[in-house]
Amino acid sequence: MRLRRPLLALGAPVVVLLGCVQPPEAPAGPGVGDPERGAVLMVREACGACHEIPGIQEAEGQVGPPLHGVARRTIIAGVLPNTPDNMTRWLRDPQAVVPGNAMPNAGLSEQQARDMAAYLATLR
Amino acid sequence: MPHHPPPWLKLALAWGAGIATVGIVALVIVCFGYFDTTASTPHPPLVAWATHMTMKNAVRRAAAKMPPPSQFTAASVQRGFAIYDTNCEACHGGPGVPRAAWVSGMTPSPPFLLGAARQWTPNQLFWIVRHGVRMTGMPAWDQTLSQADVWHVVAFLEALPGYSAADYARLRDRTQLAARDAARRAKSESDPDR
Repeated sequence: MRLRRPLLALGAPVVVLLGCVQPPEAPAGPGVGDPERGAVLMVREACGACHEIPGIQEAEGQVGPPLHGVARRTIIAGVLPNTPDNMTRWLRDPQAVVPGNAMPNAGLSEQQARDMAAYLATLR
Repeated sequence: MPHHPPPWLKLALAWGAGIATVGIVALVIVCFGYFDTTASTPHPPLVAWATHMTMKNAVRRAAAKMPPPSQFTAASVQRGFAIYDTNCEACHGGPGVPRAAWVSGMTPSPPFLLGAARQWTPNQLFWIVRHGVRMTGMPAWDQTLSQADVWHVVAFLEALPGYSAADYARLRDRTQLAARDAARRAKSESDPDR
């Protein structure tokens, strides 16, 4: 015990630091997107392999359009007016919106797509 | 007479204390498990940057020593696609083709490879496929694929930026038809009644 106390005291700041990088549990309701959860999902779904996305780690892809200022864009994928509902629809089913385009249907839930759309809405 | 330690000793002590602190912090992390080893959250940005950068530079360094490959043929691309379809697509997807659903539970997340040929040279791709990537879930394919087969996969990846989702779907149909025909032929040849 005598040895453990100072070790714990030294470890505590490390624990605090590591704790900071955990995403907070965000209890967003249905229909409301949570941008923080959306950002985590963008990493998980490897969106950055094809798109440059500000604020998303390693998101330097040059396959699809870069998403800088996507919140200010007028039209999504050349066909849909840029609204939260349409962005959610596009993310859930890009193959239905533009059949044969390179972006796959990733099997996102409605809430997951809303969260990602909410993150994209922060990119002004 | 007051005793002043010489400046070099002060410097040495400061360095020693610094190094000891880093060592103790590292030891605490290792011995008490103060590090998130779960795959349910992405890497912290610094870890993501450091690990990915190390990997990129290690691949560049290793692949620079390899001789350049010979010209890729259409047959090689076709064979590479068949191998990709069987072994790679579940984790890496394709144009208009999603990854398997469970892949989004992986940390780090396996990338789509539509832009891989623009990011890596053929030698680098060969190195990555053949030797895998530690701590990512990417296997070393030298355990199950010949060197020639790995080159076929590279040939396919080099051709991939030129494929639309429709091209890719056609290639897949053609490859699966060819595989079915080959299986049928093999079966009828081994069947003594025919």
